[in-house]
Amino acid sequence: MKPRWRKVLHDLIDNIGRTLLVVFSIAVGVFSIGVIAGAYQIISNDMSVSYSANNPSNIEFRMTNFDENVLTSIHNQRGVKDAEGRRVFNMRVRVPGTEKWTTLDMVAFESFEKNAINLLTPIEGAVEPGKRQVLLEKGALDHLDVGVGGLLEFQLPDGSTKTMPVAGIVQDTAAGAADFLASPFGYITMDTLQYMGQPKLYNRVYITVADDGDDILHIREVGGVVKDKLEKSGNVILRTRFSLTHEHPLASTVNAILGILLALGILIVFLSSSLIANTLNALLNQHLRHIGVIKLVGGQRKQVFRMYITLIMAFGVIALAIAVPFGGIGAYALAEFIAVKLNFNLLGYRIVPMAFFVQIAVGLFVPLVAGLAPVINGSRITVLRALSGDLAEEKVQIKDGEKRLSWFDWMQVKVTHLLALRGIHIPRPFVISLRNTFRRKSRLMLTLFTLTMGGAIFISVFNVRVTLHDYINQIGKYFRADVTLDFDQPYRLREIENAVMSVDGVTHVEGWQFLSGELLDDHENVIENITLLSPPADSTLVQPILIEGRWMRPDDVRKMAVSEGLRKTYPGLKAGDYIKMRVDGRDEIWQVIGLFKFVDQEGLLGYTPFEYVSEMNNLANRSFSYRVVTESHERAYQDAKAEELDKYLRDKGFKVRVAQAGSASLDTAVESLDILVVFLLIMAILTAIVGSMGLAGTMGMNVLERTREIGITRAIGADDRARIRTVIAEGVVIGLISFALAIVLSVPFTYGLSYIVSSAVFQTPIAVVFTYLGYAIWLGLVLALSTVASILPARNAARLTIREVLAYE
Amino acid sequence: MKTRQTKRKSVADIHEMSTPDAMIDMHGVVKKFKNAAGEFTVLKGIDLTINRGEFVSIVGKSGSGKSTLLNMITGIDHPTEGRVVIGGTDIYTNVTESQRSKWRGRNLGIVFQFFQLLPMLTLLENVMLSMDYADMYDFDERPARAMEMLKLVGLEKFANKLPALVSTGQQQLAAIARALACDPPLLVADEPTGNLDTKSANTIIDLFENLARSGKTVLMVTHDPSLTSRTTRNIIIADGELINETIAKALPWLRHRHMMEFTKLAEEWVYEPKATIISRDEHVEYFFMIRKGEVEVVLQDRKQNETVISRLKPGEFFGDIELMRGGKSIANVRAAADAPVELLTIKREDFKRVMDQSPLTAEAVGKIVQQRLDEHRAADSRANRPFFSLFRRKQS
Repeated sequence: MKPRWRKVLHDLIDNIGRTLLVVFSIAVGVFSIGVIAGAYQIISNDMSVSYSANNPSNIEFRMTNFDENVLTSIHNQRGVKDAEGRRVFNMRVRVPGTEKWTTLDMVAFESFEKNAINLLTPIEGAVEPGKRQVLLEKGALDHLDVGVGGLLEFQLPDGSTKTMPVAGIVQDTAAGAADFLASPFGYITMDTLQYMGQPKLYNRVYITVADDGDDILHIREVGGVVKDKLEKSGNVILRTRFSLTHEHPLASTVNAILGILLALGILIVFLSSSLIANTLNALLNQHLRHIGVIKLVGGQRKQVFRMYITLIMAFGVIALAIAVPFGGIGAYALAEFIAVKLNFNLLGYRIVPMAFFVQIAVGLFVPLVAGLAPVINGSRITVLRALSGDLAEEKVQIKDGEKRLSWFDWMQVKVTHLLALRGIHIPRPFVISLRNTFRRKSRLMLTLFTLTMGGAIFISVFNVRVTLHDYINQIGKYFRADVTLDFDQPYRLREIENAVMSVDGVTHVEGWQFLSGELLDDHENVIENITLLSPPADSTLVQPILIEGRWMRPDDVRKMAVSEGLRKTYPGLKAGDYIKMRVDGRDEIWQVIGLFKFVDQEGLLGYTPFEYVSEMNNLANRSFSYRVVTESHERAYQDAKAEELDKYLRDKGFKVRVAQAGSASLDTAVESLDILVVFLLIMAILTAIVGSMGLAGTMGMNVLERTREIGITRAIGADDRARIRTVIAEGVVIGLISFALAIVLSVPFTYGLSYIVSSAVFQTPIAVVFTYLGYAIWLGLVLALSTVASILPARNAARLTIREVLAYE
Repeated sequence: MKTRQTKRKSVADIHEMSTPDAMIDMHGVVKKFKNAAGEFTVLKGIDLTINRGEFVSIVGKSGSGKSTLLNMITGIDHPTEGRVVIGGTDIYTNVTESQRSKWRGRNLGIVFQFFQLLPMLTLLENVMLSMDYADMYDFDERPARAMEMLKLVGLEKFANKLPALVSTGQQQLAAIARALACDPPLLVADEPTGNLDTKSANTIIDLFENLARSGKTVLMVTHDPSLTSRTTRNIIIADGELINETIAKALPWLRHRHMMEFTKLAEEWVYEPKATIISRDEHVEYFFMIRKGEVEVVLQDRKQNETVISRLKPGEFFGDIELMRGGKSIANVRAAADAPVELLTIKREDFKRVMDQSPLTAEAVGKIVQQRLDEHRAADSRANRPFFSLFRRKQS
C-alpha cells in the first residue's frame, strides 16, 4: 500500500471517537431516509396488494331486510360481477365469568365456502363456523381474552344470553378498512341467526363490478343502476359506499402521513449533513499540518484532494454498512406497525431497491457535498501557512496601523466591562465559557442550526399533538353526553326521563333521533351519504363551531346545519343554499342553514331539530336513542354510569341495545391520533439526536482545539471540576441559545406541521394550539443533552496533563 | 599547625539536607519516558535544594532535561522516582493531578515563554482568573487585586484589552501579573524572555530581581548567559544530571560534558580553620575549587614572617599554576581562620586531560595563572628570586 493510502487508513482508525462521530452523523441520516423510504414503498405496495387480495367489494349497500331473491336480482344486473348478501348486526358479548361487555359487529354468511367477496383469511382454528359457533376477527382479541375453543356469552335484545364457542380466528382486511374506529367483528352462519334472535334475512350486500374495479366513475354508475332497481322494487337503501379494488380506503391518509415523515427524514439528512460538514471541517483543520508536510515532500494538490475525498468516501461506506441493514429492518418494522394498526398484511421482509439506492446515494453523496468545501480549502493551503502555525482562530484586524477586534468580540468585552463598572462581575471561568461559545462562529452556526431544528420540530410535535387533541375535544362538543343509550324499540321521552333521572348522579337526559340521507346530483345520482342527528333544537349537548350561517331552531323544517365537508361535494356552498337529498327513499329539497367544523369519517354529518324529525318519523315524544348527562364527566365515571344505567333499565324491562360512555369513541380517536403523534415524535427525537450529536461533536472539537488553553488553566490552578464546569457551561450556553431560537422557529413549524397533518387526517386545516409542555420538555432535554454531550469532552479535557497540552506548543 | 582534612564522598552524590529555609527540595528525582524506541531517562536522580528568596537560573542545552526538571518542580509532570517537596509540601505523594492544580494555583506562579494568556479574556480577567481558580481573596476584592498586579507591571492602562491587542512584552508582563495574583512564594519562569526584545527582557529581569529581593523565590530557565549573570545562583543541567555548581562557577568556559565529567570525578575535602592545604615547595597533584569558606595564599620570608597575598572565595580555584606550568609550590595555602573550608579536588591527570580537550578553558585558566603570577610578583618581597611555584600540594 502506498504511504499516502496508509495515511488515509491511519486517519480512519487512529482517532476512533472522531471516526465514529462522522460515521454516526452519516448513518443517522441514511437510517432515517432508509426507514421512511422503505416503509413508504412497502406500505404503498403491500397495502393495496393485501387489500385487493381479499377481493374487496366495490359497492356496499346497507339496506333494510331482504331475501335471497333480491340478492339474485342484484347478481343479474348488468355490470355486476358478483354479489354477496350478509346480515350485520351488533351484539354485546363477554367471556363468561367476566364483567366487561364488548360490542361486536356480527356478520352472518350464507356460505363461508362460497365466500368470494371481502374474503376472510384464516389464522387459527376452523375456516368456517358450524351452527351456533362463531369466528372472531383477530382485532376482537384485543377486547376479548378468549382463544379458539373458548366460550363467549352473547346478550340478546331481550336481555337473555346465549353461549357459543369460538371456532376460529380470521382476518378481515376489507370489512373495517375504511374506519379504524369500527367495532370488532364476529362471523356466524345464517343458520345461527335464529339462535341469536335475528331473522334469517340479509341487510347488507357487497358487490364487485364486472369491468374496471379501479374506476370510481364506473363503480358509481353500476351502483346507481343497481340502487335504482332495488328501490323501484321496494327495497330501502340506508347507506351506500363505493371502493376501488386496488386502493385501500385509507391509502391516501397513510401516504400523506408517510409523506410528512419523509419530509422529516429529508430534514434529518440535511441536518446530519451540516454535522458532517462541521466534523470534516475540524478534521481538515487538524490535518493542515499533515497537508503542509505532504506538500513539502512533493505531494500535489490533487493528491491531497484525492486522499481526503477517499477518506470521506470511507466514512460514507462504513456508515452505509451500519445504516443500510438497520434502515431495512426499521423500514419493515415501521411498515409492520402500520399494517397491524390498519389490519392488512405485508408480503414479507425484503430489501426495497428504491430505498437501498436512496440510502447509497445519501450515504455517499451527502458527505461528499458536505466535505467538498473543507477538502478543497484544505488541499489549497500553502506549505508556509500549514507549517507556520498561522491557523489561529483569533483574527485581529489591523486598521490604520492599529490592532482592532471584530465588532462581536469588542461587544463581548465591552458588555462584560460595563457590567463590571456597575459592580456585576461574572466569574471568569464562566466568561471563558461564554466567549468560547462564539469563537468558532461558523461551527456554532451549524451546531445551532441542527440543534434548533431538532428543538423546533420537537416542540412543534407537542404543539401539533395538543392541536389535534384540542380539535378532537372540539369535536367532542358535538357529543357532550356522558352516557349514550340506544334501545331496540322507541320509548316515550317522559318514561325514559323518569327512569333515568332516578339513577344517582344523572342530571339531565334528552331524546335524540337520526335520519340517514343521500345527497343527490342533478341526475339524481347518489354522490354522498349524510347522517342527520336530531337533538332538541335547544339542546346544550351540542356546541357547534359554526363557520357560517346559524344553528337549528325548533321550527326548522327540512333545514339542516351541515359539516364543512359538504363543500367538497358542493364547492362554493353557502348557508342558505338548497340541496337535493333522498331521505327514506323520498327525494326532498333541504336548505342548508349553517356550516360547522367537523371531522367527517364515514359520510357527512348534519343536524336538524328533533322537533321536525320526530314528526317525520312518526315518533313524536318518543325515541330510540337518549343522551344522558351525569354529575362527573370523567371517563371512568361515565363507564360506571353506563353500566349502572344498562343494568337498571334492563331490570326495569327496557330493551337496551347499547349503553356506553360518551367519551368512548372520542378516546379511541385520540388513541389513533396518538399513533401518528408517536411517529412524529420518533422523527423529532431523531432530529434531536442528530442535534445533540452535533453538539457533542462541536464540544469535542472545541476541546481538542483548545487543549493548550486547558493546559494553561490547569497550570494556574484549575482543578478537574473547574475544567469540567467550564466545558459543560459552554455546551449548556449553546443549548440555551438553540432553545431560544427553537422557541421562535417552533411557531411557523407548528403552523406548517399542523396544516399538513390536519389536512391529511381531517381534510381541513384546524386551529393551532400551543402548549408549554413541549417547550418545558425540550428545555429539560436540551439542558440534559448539552450536558451529556459536553461531559465526555469535558472529562477528556480534565484528563489531559499539562505536559501533554503544552507539548502542543 | 597542620590540620588533617576530612575526605568526603564524590560530589555527584552530595546533596544538602533540607533546611527550614528550603523552598524547593528534590531528592533522587528520576524521570523516565517511554516511546516506540524504548525507555529513556530524562532526569537521572536529581538532588536539588533552593532556598527562599533565591533568584536561580537553570540552564542547559536543548534536550538536557531542564524543562522536565521545571515540570517536576511545578507539578506539571510527575517523577518516576524520588520526592519533590515545595514549600514543605510533598507534591507527588498521595496527591491527584486535580489537587496539584489547586495547590499550584495557590502556591506557585508560572510564567511561560509564550505567555499563555487566555486569548478570550482581557488582561484584567486573565489576572483575576487565577484567583478564581485558587479561590483566593474575596470575589469582590479580586478586580482591585488584579488591577494592583497590573499596576505593578505597568499595565493598568491596558487592563481591559484582549491579549491580541497588546505587544508581546506587555503580554509577558501580564502573565507575570497573573503569576503573582495569588501572592505565591515561588515564581517559576520558563524562558520568560525567550520571545522578547532586549528592552522588554530587561524590564522583566528587573522585576524578578525586585521580587527576589522582596523575599520571593524566583526560578528561571533560560538560554541567555547575560541573564544568568543577574541571578544569585546558576544551576546547569546536562543529560539529565545537575552539574556541580562550584565547578560550573569555577570553570564556566568548560563544555557541559566536561563539567559533568569533573562533577563525577571531583572529591570534596574539608579543612579546619587555619589548616594548611598546600605547603611551599610541595608538588601539587590536584586542582582545587572552593565550594564553601575561604582560603588564604601566604608567603613567608626568611624570618618566617607571613604575608597573605591573596584570599580566595567560593567559586575560585587554586593549584592551577603548578598543574599548568609544572614545578613546586612557592606559597602556602591554608584555610581561613574564621571557618572551615570545603574544597572540590580534581586529580592532576584528569585536569590535564580535560584541559587538553578544552583549549578555551586552558587559555582562560592560563590567563588567570598569568594574572596571579603578576600579582604575586608585586606582592612578593623576594620578587627577583626565581619563581617555581605558587602553590604546594597538600598530601591527603
